[in-house]
Amino acid sequence: MKKQLSRTAIYLILCVYSFVTFLPLLIVVSSSFRNPHNLTSPLRLFSEFTLKSYITAFTKMNFLGELLNSILTTAGSVVIVVLIATMAAYPISRIKKKTSRFLYYFFIAGLVIPSQMVIVPIAQVFGALNIPNTRFTPMIMFITCSLPFSTFLYVGFLKGVPVSLEEAAFMEGASLWRRYRTVVFPLIKPATVSTVITQGLWIWNDYFFPMVFISKREQYSLPVGMLQFLGDKENPAQWNVLFASCVLCALPLVLVFIVLQKQFINGIAAGAVKG
Amino acid sequence: MKKSKVREKSLVMPTRMYWFAVPALILFVVFWVYPVFQMFYYSITNFNGVNYDYDFVGVRNFQSIVKDGSLVNGIKNTFIYTIIIVVISNVVGLALALLLNLKLKGKSIFRTLVYLPALFSPIVVGFIWSYVYMPGSGMLSSIIELFGMDGTKLNLLGDFGKALYAITAVDIWKNVGTTMIIYLAGLQTIDDSLLEAGKIDGCNEWKLITKVKLPLISATITINVVLNVIAGLKAFDYSFIMTNGGPGKSTQTLMYIIFNTAFNKQLMGKASALSVVSFIIIIAITILMLRFMNKREVEF
Repeated sequence: MKKQLSRTAIYLILCVYSFVTFLPLLIVVSSSFRNPHNLTSPLRLFSEFTLKSYITAFTKMNFLGELLNSILTTAGSVVIVVLIATMAAYPISRIKKKTSRFLYYFFIAGLVIPSQMVIVPIAQVFGALNIPNTRFTPMIMFITCSLPFSTFLYVGFLKGVPVSLEEAAFMEGASLWRRYRTVVFPLIKPATVSTVITQGLWIWNDYFFPMVFISKREQYSLPVGMLQFLGDKENPAQWNVLFASCVLCALPLVLVFIVLQKQFINGIAAGAVKG
Repeated sequence: MKKSKVREKSLVMPTRMYWFAVPALILFVVFWVYPVFQMFYYSITNFNGVNYDYDFVGVRNFQSIVKDGSLVNGIKNTFIYTIIIVVISNVVGLALALLLNLKLKGKSIFRTLVYLPALFSPIVVGFIWSYVYMPGSGMLSSIIELFGMDGTKLNLLGDFGKALYAITAVDIWKNVGTTMIIYLAGLQTIDDSLLEAGKIDGCNEWKLITKVKLPLISATITINVVLNVIAGLKAFDYSFIMTNGGPGKSTQTLMYIIFNTAFNKQLMGKASALSVVSFIIIIAITILMLRFMNKREVEF
């Protein structure tokens, strides 16, 4: 009886909490299906169903173009991060020397520095190196800022991987590069899943670097495309369109999450526990 | 025997392996470490971010950020923001994780609902909550009016005393799910036999949590606290998207002030001085925190 009661209480707490968390999202989704001019109380959920706000948002934000830019930059950055972070972590975790310790802390120190602090000098480096503003320019910063965490994660993971397999490969005369590619890289797959998810998540959602390094509209990724709606915030007549664009912006990642839920949850947890 | 082992090791793992780290090092040094040094250098100049014709001004930038109050204001707001995030995210995240770690039906649905906001871009979150807080037709105002009260007066983002807390709540809403997931992973590593032993020793549910579970996940607590402290000290998004630092200067966090001073006011020297001080604060807090946490973990 007592157990039954506490069980009900737990469900009640969870339901109330989830409801409070979810209510803003519910209103956003419901309002996004309204006519842009429908300004009646948004609390009357799903009182209308039309895609007019979506059609306006879709063209106004150039959804397909921005989606493509987001996919290309995120995928490209993540692939390169995995490649060069594993390469950096390999000697750091395997050679027991002061140099390794130094490199390790050198990379970690980058973890706590916020990008707002160094963005102007970074922009100057871009200028000095004549790096043009293209849709791929922010990738350089996505990769650089992902390196500390990824390297940290890989070093931690690699230290738990026994070296006997590598020694066997060495005996068979495999080169260093071959050993890294065929023996080490496949062994650290769990850390790679974790890196792809944690770093992919922030890169996909980041608006800061694209905001600084992209000037043309057709180069926008989804989050930075949302920035142009900032002025509409004051105009209630635009809210339904704004809600539709919020849903469009968030939808791709939510769909990926639904499909890969298990990998997401494990990847995030493993990333933190190892890190 | 020992000698041959050492030699063998150096054969399998030769020093030239360090070449593998070169691509990462080049990127990191050119686009991160060098700019940090530049920032230190600019802090003693009157560089405006565009024109390279600048002069050295010594400590004048540092004097100016103290005199105009931006440093103290930024530190105060950032610290309030950080403390609230660390305390509430961890308490709520841990409580949710403890509940969701029980054998419940449909717990994965709750987990998904709580985690969902973590998937959104800060810009989307900023828009959603700008609507929630909007006076008049916003969500909170509408709900208040539903109960027959006057909701038009509620303007959290326009209130000097409340705006900072309002944007802090947004950050918690977005990130508490991540904290919860990490706690859940920590709780799942606890061996059931330890909990059984606790029960046999006569622990009630509360004692089981405080005496057995929490000490066993102390490493997880450390990680979550550190992650939340770092996130809090980096606070920028919602001041930038939702309030523009206002009303007045009430939601200006350190990172917001730095960005605003560098980009809108074009006072790169002053922004760099603020960055240098923030840099020292962040590094000091990180080191202190890791030291303190490491000691505690050993004690358990």
